[in-house]
Amino acid sequence: MNNSALSIAQTRAGDVCVVTLSGRIDSTNANDVVNELTRLFASGEKTILVDLGAVLYLTSAAFRALLVATDEAERRAARFALCSLAGHVRDLFEMGGLIEVFSIHGSREEALKQLGRPVPRAI
Amino acid sequence: MKRAVELRLKNDMSEIAIVRDALDNLASELGIPMQALMQLQVALDEVVSNVVKYSWQDDAKHEFLVRITVHPDRVDLEIFDDGQAFDPLSVPPPATVTDGRRPQPGGLGIHLIKKLVDNFTYERIGGRNHTTLSKRCEVGAAQRSEK
Repeated sequence: MNNSALSIAQTRAGDVCVVTLSGRIDSTNANDVVNELTRLFASGEKTILVDLGAVLYLTSAAFRALLVATDEAERRAARFALCSLAGHVRDLFEMGGLIEVFSIHGSREEALKQLGRPVPRAI
Repeated sequence: MKRAVELRLKNDMSEIAIVRDALDNLASELGIPMQALMQLQVALDEVVSNVVKYSWQDDAKHEFLVRITVHPDRVDLEIFDDGQAFDPLSVPPPATVTDGRRPQPGGLGIHLIKKLVDNFTYERIGGRNHTTLSKRCEVGAAQRSEK
């Protein structure tokens, strides 16, 4: 398995802050995810969408990170959602009984349609 | 034929990368199927991070041993530590959402291990915890078909 390191990238789609996680999220790096998401909520983001499409696998440390972010969103009356779970990643959510816990969208497009206004098109 | 690798780790989270990389290397060398490898990596992270977090409460440095054994039909992960006795199989499953609240993450890792591996055992032998995870998979099938 190559590309082992976790990378966290960030883009904006209208009012939605999209955080793309790729690689593996485990107990060595899950804190980076908590810190980044907490920082974004603290900086005033009202809607954060985490794209998990490029995640190789995640462990309970990663689930904890996403649960902390969910609580943080609730505390700040913000929205927090996930999208693009690949089959094996979805399996892990299911094994953990966590599918119902998070707001999960099939794709980034679907999520953005529901979460925010469409990105304004350049004229 | 089997291959075993033994690694001595310190009780520090960053050390988990050492066993993770060792398992990756064995997998690419011997041909552990991708799906099994990912599930083993999750289980390994859960069990080793539990040892690092909970086996010793004195803030001192400790060492423990991880042995990865690759058999033709399964992979065994064994962890030996001399921390406080802890039977992971005694941990109750995490509360589910149907209880009307979010799962408390405590038992989640152990719950995942039970789902991910075929055999999960614990023994306390001579003052040491001996935890074994075993997952069945066909090792080296891809390599053999290439020849």
